[in-house]
Amino acid sequence: MTNDIKEGHVRVEDVTINFAGKSGPVTALDTTSVELKPGTFTALIGPSGCGKSTLMNAIGGFVTPSTGRITLDGTPITGPSTKVGVIFQQYGLFPWFTALGNVRFGLKRYGLPKSEEIDRARAALDEVGLGAHADKFPQQLSGGMKQRVAIARTFAVGPKVLLMDEPFGALDAQTRLVMHDLLLDVWQKHRATVLFVTHDVDEALLLADDVRVMSQAPGRLIRHYEIRQPRPRALSRSGSDLLATRDEIIDLLRPAGALADVH
Amino acid sequence: MAVTDLLPPSERKGRQRPGATALRSMAAGALLRGPLISFVFVLGLWSVVGVLQLVPESIFPAPWSVWSATVEMWANGTLPNDLSVSRSRAAIGFTIGASLGVALGLMTGRIAVVRTLLNPFLTVLRPIPAIALVPVAIVWFGIGEGSKYFVISYTVFLTVWFNTHHGMEYVPEVYLRAARSLGVSRLREFLTVIVPAAAPYIFAGLRLGVALAFLSLVAAELSGASSGIGYRLQEARQYIRTDRMFSLLIILGLMGATVDLIVHRISRKLVHWEQS
Repeated sequence: MTNDIKEGHVRVEDVTINFAGKSGPVTALDTTSVELKPGTFTALIGPSGCGKSTLMNAIGGFVTPSTGRITLDGTPITGPSTKVGVIFQQYGLFPWFTALGNVRFGLKRYGLPKSEEIDRARAALDEVGLGAHADKFPQQLSGGMKQRVAIARTFAVGPKVLLMDEPFGALDAQTRLVMHDLLLDVWQKHRATVLFVTHDVDEALLLADDVRVMSQAPGRLIRHYEIRQPRPRALSRSGSDLLATRDEIIDLLRPAGALADVH
Repeated sequence: MAVTDLLPPSERKGRQRPGATALRSMAAGALLRGPLISFVFVLGLWSVVGVLQLVPESIFPAPWSVWSATVEMWANGTLPNDLSVSRSRAAIGFTIGASLGVALGLMTGRIAVVRTLLNPFLTVLRPIPAIALVPVAIVWFGIGEGSKYFVISYTVFLTVWFNTHHGMEYVPEVYLRAARSLGVSRLREFLTVIVPAAAPYIFAGLRLGVALAFLSLVAAELSGASSGIGYRLQEARQYIRTDRMFSLLIILGLMGATVDLIVHRISRKLVHWEQS
């Protein structure tokens, strides 16, 4: 499934990230090494504030590691680029542009003739099922539709890596399931390497090839699960395997000592 | 509509449900009636005070005296002239101040060097009221139009700059990250991301600037002018023409409110995404 893809190879090598806090530096991410193989889908899961977003921001080029290095296809990441697409939980759509305008914004750098640019933007919106809403402004769209526009906008520039920071965290459960199918669908066409940050264990198990679990802050990667069940998956009918993994992860995420009072 | 039309007229009013049309007419009604009710109310109160002659006319003139003073000033030609002189002073002063304010705000908001060099200085200038500047303006620009433009544009400039600058500072990080990961040029990012993101603040600054243009207009005309609404106010004081003062003050208020409404409408149109 991933054999034919050569690009989008991310290596995180001994990266730590510190921020200046009020009382000295704060470690947001403890020494972390991880490899995202080309075309794979990795879910990163961990408790709030554990540094998952920090790791993602570093791969996105928004944050510079304090130590270690991050490379994409052998080249160090020094800042944001179109090779690494980002989907934000808050969508990051520009409210002054229509859905179409938002997708066209990303296509600007190709310097296409206007009609071709519009055609390509429309095609990208069609792909996420939003062709009929091309001329609406983001604030006229539901949360799920906004995130579809963002997905269309990002895939339209052909990123090698796609970073998704709790992209469906603000959506209701039903919409989230629809978005999962849509994302897998679009991803299978474009084959970027995906890093998907979530704190929903089920979401991670339904989507990812690799589920990586982070510890409490300062975050470290503490467990790696390879999920080999074919997609589409469902937790109820996929046998005990996924459910057992699910229980394990939930156990890992439970704060140490949280249940001590209960028992 | 059809349903309410079938009801006897006496029942229509009370039974109207807030359907789409009803809501729309309620909104339109609120716009038209709201301010109107307030004016009618104040005018009524004012008339009562006038009829009962509770206060001498020379101190608190009745509405009809103010009206006849307005007609008188209009007929003898001073009012039309004052209006046009003041209007052009406010307009020119506002245009100069607002352009400089937006331009400099965009720079201090994005360019660290400019910010470091100018922000503390401009922050100290901000609390200085327009009227305190009049003596300096007269020394620098004489009693001609130059000193009026200076006082007005100075006041407008500082407010518009301040708001623009803050708008630039509060551009949400997610917009910049989205723009950068989509690989647009810095120029396009500035023009199509940063400026629109700051636009609501810029327009808020322009609205304040309009109000301040009228405030400082009067300050500018209080000394060294020979026409204009502010000058006419000063003149009315010398003759204790309270009726004229009231008339001029009301005109000033109406002018300011009208321009404010226009700017508000324009900004709602241009920054359409802020409302919904």
